[in-house]
Amino acid sequence: MKEKIAVELKNIVFGYLKDTVNIDDVSFSVKQGDYVTLIGHNGSGKSTIARLITGLLLQRSGDIEIFGEVMTDDNVLRLRKDIGIIFQNPDNQFIGSSVRDDIAFGLENDCVPEDKMEGIVEEYSKKVGMYKFLDKEPTNLSGGQKQRVAIAGTLARHPKILIMDESTSMLDPKGKREILQLIHQLKRENPELTIISITHDIQEAYESDHVIVVAKGKKILDGKPDEVFSDSKKMVEIKLDIPFFKRLNMELEDNGLEKYEANSLDGLVEKLCR
Amino acid sequence: MNNIALGRYIPGNSFLHKMDARIKIISLIIFFVGIFLSYGSAAQNFIMYGVYFVILFSLLKVARLSFFNVLKSLKALWIMMLFLLVINTFAVQTGEVAFIINDFVVYWDGLVRTGYIIVRLILMITLTTLLTSTSKPLDLTFGLEWLLGPLKLLHVPVHIFAMTISLALRFIPTLMEEANKIIRAQASRGVDFAEGKLKDKFKAIISLIIPLFVSSFLRSGELADAMETRGYDPQGTRTKYRRKHWKMKETVQIIGCGCLLAGIVLLAVYKPDFISAVKGWF
Amino acid sequence: MSIKLNHVSYTYSPKTPFEYEALRDVSLEIKDRSFLALIGETGSGKSTLVQHLNGLILPTEGEVQISHYLLSCENGQRKYVDLDRREEFKDKKYRKKQFNIRNLRKYAGLVFQFPEYQLFEESVLKDVSFGPKNFGATDEEAEQMAKDALKLVGLDDSYLPRSPFELSGGEKRRVAIAGIIALNPSVLILDEPTAGLDPQGEKEMMELFKKINDAGKSVILVTHNMEIVLKYVDEVVVMHDGKLLKQTTPLKLFQDEKFLTTTAIEPPFVFKAAKALIKNGLNLDLNNVKDIPSLVQEIKRIKHE
Repeated sequence: MKEKIAVELKNIVFGYLKDTVNIDDVSFSVKQGDYVTLIGHNGSGKSTIARLITGLLLQRSGDIEIFGEVMTDDNVLRLRKDIGIIFQNPDNQFIGSSVRDDIAFGLENDCVPEDKMEGIVEEYSKKVGMYKFLDKEPTNLSGGQKQRVAIAGTLARHPKILIMDESTSMLDPKGKREILQLIHQLKRENPELTIISITHDIQEAYESDHVIVVAKGKKILDGKPDEVFSDSKKMVEIKLDIPFFKRLNMELEDNGLEKYEANSLDGLVEKLCR
Repeated sequence: MNNIALGRYIPGNSFLHKMDARIKIISLIIFFVGIFLSYGSAAQNFIMYGVYFVILFSLLKVARLSFFNVLKSLKALWIMMLFLLVINTFAVQTGEVAFIINDFVVYWDGLVRTGYIIVRLILMITLTTLLTSTSKPLDLTFGLEWLLGPLKLLHVPVHIFAMTISLALRFIPTLMEEANKIIRAQASRGVDFAEGKLKDKFKAIISLIIPLFVSSFLRSGELADAMETRGYDPQGTRTKYRRKHWKMKETVQIIGCGCLLAGIVLLAVYKPDFISAVKGWF
Repeated sequence: MSIKLNHVSYTYSPKTPFEYEALRDVSLEIKDRSFLALIGETGSGKSTLVQHLNGLILPTEGEVQISHYLLSCENGQRKYVDLDRREEFKDKKYRKKQFNIRNLRKYAGLVFQFPEYQLFEESVLKDVSFGPKNFGATDEEAEQMAKDALKLVGLDDSYLPRSPFELSGGEKRRVAIAGIIALNPSVLILDEPTAGLDPQGEKEMMELFKKINDAGKSVILVTHNMEIVLKYVDEVVVMHDGKLLKQTTPLKLFQDEKFLTTTAIEPPFVFKAAKALIKNGLNLDLNNVKDIPSLVQEIKRIKHE
């Protein structure tokens, strides 16, 4: 069975100002159903790419294809119905005056019949664990709770692609864990959902299906986590963090202790202590 | 936060709290019309105003609000009212004489005019406070949007105004928190918002306003992106999650409003002489 | 110069339906040259505590001593004493004239989370000189203090005339921190200074704080990052539900397994790795394990014996 390509970027060039280039000839494709992570240092262009995919920004040249269809001015509004995006700041995407109203916002925009809305609002609030908070106002919610509401409101529109633009960057560790657990759960419940996560969390990238690394507007690496993270020196060079054991092995190698390299704690104990 | 006392929503369970915001707004308008109509002589008008006061007083009681709190908030207006009194007594120099002070003649008309202004003002402020204290801001917004609905036929973007207002309401607490954060950060840099020369106070306010403005602009940009990506199209059609049901209760109430309006208009048109009628009873 | 909190409690909005006790009977001393981490989950009272250290908040119970000023509150009665001059300011009106609460704010410089939002001046130089000017420095003095502070955070003279609003996020943060360093406080308090920075940015920022601490200032970090706690700080203070649960060293904290489970604190992975190795017979000295490089050095040392 041929796997569908959910998102494809073909030679995208973009600059915020006339004489600058922020995205320099970037191409990659995302298979439907994959959990893809997009990583890179601050200012590398990750969020810009997210905005290009959702059509919030228009590229200077190159094509963006959503399920094979090239995005143009005419179809961007229609294609956007299949793409959901959760931004970084929990407050600046909370539109409704209460949890209910915020989840319903997207439904109102989609002209969902009024008598169906209540059911959908309740169903999705349950999916993200915010059912008990339906009438709460945003000022009484934590960052993690607000992000959960954003996820509910976005999923209620049944997007085929979900983009998480550093959605956990402004949360405390507890909030981060909540959201990551939720995303993994949603992925299990919806195997066809394609998730593109822009993140700094190297562990999250390590556990994803496909990693794309950008630096200074260019795509540097693209492939499965094992392939991408095998070149640890390169990661350090582009100012990225690397998974613990890769870091450890690199350090061991630099100190002439290659024979102790391992990829897990048990492996490490095995090599050093027996 | 607690200084915006007058007009702030006070949660409650009274008949007025449960009344549909649209009907409350319509009643407000009817009362306002009633306050400005003339029912005959000055005495008759003041009697009508007396009746209105009695109605308002009872409504305040129903909504568990204190009339004294409303009066307290009007303190700032007393000076203006005094000023008005003085102006009117000087301006009006015709008609029946009320009394004479030290060779200066005070005419009834002057006193009556001032009386009208003051009484009407108090009535209007009390009515509006009654409305805003018993209605959630968002309900008022929806009510206004519905009432201004017909303007859509004239291509007035009523729904955009309503969205703007509800967004503003949603963000007021957030902005206040943000202002609080900025004040604390600047205070940690030695800014004293309370004391200091005028020049220092000016600088202090700038150090609050600029960051607040900048963050608000950035915020609105992000908000617009979020709204767009969730499918918001200001020109397009949208369904409404918060529907207001129009049931028997509302129909009864609106008929009541109609009767009220009819009654007020009839009184104003026919100006019955109820003073003589009451005198006649005795 | 030290800061002491003596049985301090703080209640927000007392006697209203929104009453909330944020600090309960907290006693803490910040000695000279400390490098301290303040940890605890959101709502534990960390930010309320930290705002007592620079006089932004005054306790509703208990005593705070900042340098030679002693502020206390007993049964709702506030007292302000200048210990050097042995003067007491009891009367509120008199207090306002003679004792400016602002005096307290220069001993401890407080940098809030995401401090970029406090920038507002036309140029970087003006913004960083703003603080010193508020505390009485002349224009020339303030500018010199600003330049020194900017150099310390790694921003050269080319940044001076630029508008803070055109800088990148990381640069803005450094300008904001310079704005507090320019006040030359004896204690530098920072709430999550590395939040949102990439690994390189985080490393540079922590090295800066280490440098400042080595130069003689006390540094207090409010953080969730246990790797930073293990690698850089000398002391850890754990807050929970308004109370100060523990004040100890990172090593002792991470070894107290029972305490870790009850407070849901996770030691950094490098520590867990070292513990696992020790448990299986490798005789590592935990005192030497601060991060991956030092762990590897320890392994090397043991294996070559």
